Amino acid sequence: MKPSKPLQTLIALSIFILSSSIPLSAQQEVTIRIKEGMPMIPVAIPEFSFTETSVRDDEIKNIIMSTLWGDLEFSRVFRLIPKEHYGYIPRFNPNDINFKDWASIQANILISGQLEITADGRIIVSIKVYEVGSERFIFGRNLGGKKEFGRLIAHRIADEMMKHFGEKPFFTSKIVYTSEKGNDRDIYIMDYDGARQTRITFNSILELLPSWSSNNEKIMYTSYRRLSPELYMFDIFSGKTELISTGGSNYAADWSPQEDKIAFTSTKSGNAEIFVKDMKTGKEKRLTFNPGIDTSPAWSPNGREIVFVSDRSGSPQVYIMDAEGTNVRRITYEGTYHDSPVWAPDGTRIAYVSRIENRFDIYIYNLKNNEMTKLTENAGRNENPSWSPDSRHLVFSSNRGDKYQIYLVDYDGLNVRQITTSGENKMPKWQKNVN
Amino acid sequence: MKRVFVMFVMLSLVFFFTGCAKKTPKVEPKPAPVVEKVEEQAPKMEKPALSEEEIFQQKSIEELNKDGNLKRINFDFNKYVIREDMKPILQNNADWILKHSTIELLIEGHCDERGTVEYNIALGEKRAESAKNYVVSLGASANKIKTVSYGKSKPLVQGVDEATWFQNRRAEFVITKK
Repeated sequence: MKPSKPLQTLIALSIFILSSSIPLSAQQEVTIRIKEGMPMIPVAIPEFSFTETSVRDDEIKNIIMSTLWGDLEFSRVFRLIPKEHYGYIPRFNPNDINFKDWASIQANILISGQLEITADGRIIVSIKVYEVGSERFIFGRNLGGKKEFGRLIAHRIADEMMKHFGEKPFFTSKIVYTSEKGNDRDIYIMDYDGARQTRITFNSILELLPSWSSNNEKIMYTSYRRLSPELYMFDIFSGKTELISTGGSNYAADWSPQEDKIAFTSTKSGNAEIFVKDMKTGKEKRLTFNPGIDTSPAWSPNGREIVFVSDRSGSPQVYIMDAEGTNVRRITYEGTYHDSPVWAPDGTRIAYVSRIENRFDIYIYNLKNNEMTKLTENAGRNENPSWSPDSRHLVFSSNRGDKYQIYLVDYDGLNVRQITTSGENKMPKWQKNVN
Repeated sequence: MKRVFVMFVMLSLVFFFTGCAKKTPKVEPKPAPVVEKVEEQAPKMEKPALSEEEIFQQKSIEELNKDGNLKRINFDFNKYVIREDMKPILQNNADWILKHSTIELLIEGHCDERGTVEYNIALGEKRAESAKNYVVSLGASANKIKTVSYGKSKPLVQGVDEATWFQNRRAEFVITKK
C-alpha cells in the first residue's frame, strides 16, 4: 500500500519542524518550575507583528495566534488574559516593552511574537517570552516552515511554553480514531484539537480499537478483513500493514510503554483471555485462566502492571495484575458493568467506563487514595476514554448529540469540547508519548 | 305416406300463420343441434413437485439464507446462556442442519448498544459459541460451524428501547457453503 497524498503530508508534518528552533543566545534563558496545585499562570499575547521585509498575511497570522491561544487556554497551566483588557494598553512595541502596562492587567507572562513571511510562502515565527513582574526575558525561539504548517508552528510554540514551565508538552500530539462516513468505516489520525483529520486506512471493512505504538510510528488495530477480528499493525511512515495475530479472535491491543510487547484479548484457547506478545520474538504468553471473559488490557506507564476487565465475579469489573499475570486484584466493587480501563501516563489514575441504569459514564479511579470520581454526567453514552500525554485531559466518544463524536474533557470534568463533527467518530486513542 | 306428408305441411303452415298472426308462440323453439366439439387435450406440462433435497440443491447460498431456514435467536442483557424460549428455534435449526449435512455455517454473535466495544466483542463470541454448542449437542457437526463476534457494530435495528435491544442481542445462522 502506497501512502496516500494526505498521509504523505502527515509524514512530512511529523518529520518537519525545521531545526531552526535556535535559542536566542544573546539573552540568558530561565526555566521556571510549577508546583502541583499552583494557580494557572496569567499570560498576555499582544498582536504579533510583521518584520519590515515580511509579506503581510493576516490570515496566517490569525491562524498562528488563535492556535497558540487555544493551546495555552486548554493547558490548565496557563490562563489567557482576555483581549478586551488589552484595550487600556498603548500599542505594543516589541522593541520597547512597557512591562508596567502588562502588570496593570495582571499578566505574569508576556509572549511577544514577530512573523517573517517570504514571497514563496515560508514563515518564520520569532517569539520572546518575558516575565512581566521582574521584566525578565525567559526564553525565545525562532520556528519556521511552509505556510500550511502554521498550526503546527503554533503548537510547537505552545509546547515550548510547557517545557519552560516544567510541564509535559503535548500540543503536537495526535489522536487516532475510527470514522464512519457513508459506507466507509476507516481509521483516521488528527491533531489533538481535531484539526487536520487524515484518513489512514482505505477500505470499507469493519475496523476497531486503534492504538498507538509508544514511539508513535505504528498503529495496531482490530480488523475483520479475514472474517474474524484480528490484529493488524499499520506503519504510518511506510504505509505497510501487517497481520500480527494468529488463531482465534484477537482484538483490543495495547502497546507496552517499552514498545516491545502488546497485550491483547484472544479466544485462541477457546475463551476470551488476555495474552502478551513479544513483538521481537513473536512469542506469546497467556496471562489469564478462567472460564469468564477477560478483556480490555491496558499497560501501566512503567510497564509492570496491566489493568483489565473480567467477568469472573459474574459481572464485568476492573482488575489489575502484574505484567506476568500474577497478583490479580479487583479495583471496582460498585456497579455491575465496567470496561475500557486506561492508565494515566503519570501513573496516578485509571479512567474507565461504567454503566449504571443504562447510562454510560466515564469514571476516574485515583490509585493514591482509592477514590472514584465521575467525569461525565447526564449526557448520552460516553465511551472509550484515553488520557492526554500530560494526564490533565482525556479524549472520549459520546453520542450526547445524536451521532457519536469525539470530545475532550479535563481530568476534573471541566472544559468539555467536541472536536469532530462530520460522520460518526469513535474509539479515540491519544498518543501516550510526545515525540 | 304422401297424404301424411301433405297434411303435415299444411298443418305446419296453419301453425305458422296462426303463430304469426297472434305473435304468441305457444310452441317451444326447436333445440339447437348438438355440435360435437373436436379438440385434443394438451399433454400435462406442469412440473412435478420437487423433493426438498432437489429444491435445496437448486438454490444459491444467498437464496437459502434469504429463505430463513435457519432462524436467529435472542439473548438476555449481558448474558450468553440460551433462553428456554429459544431452544425450540435451535432444535428446528439443528433439524434443518442435520437434514442438509453438507452445509457449512457461520454463527454470528451480536450485542445491543448498551455494552462497551471491547467487552461486547467477547460477549458476542460467547453468544455465538453457546448457540453453536447447543446445535452441536443436537447432532450438528462442530467442524462445519464457525463463529464470529461483531460485538455491537452491526445492530439489526436502530432504536433506544428494550424491544430494539432485544432484537439486537442475537446469534445469526449464516450458511456459507452447501
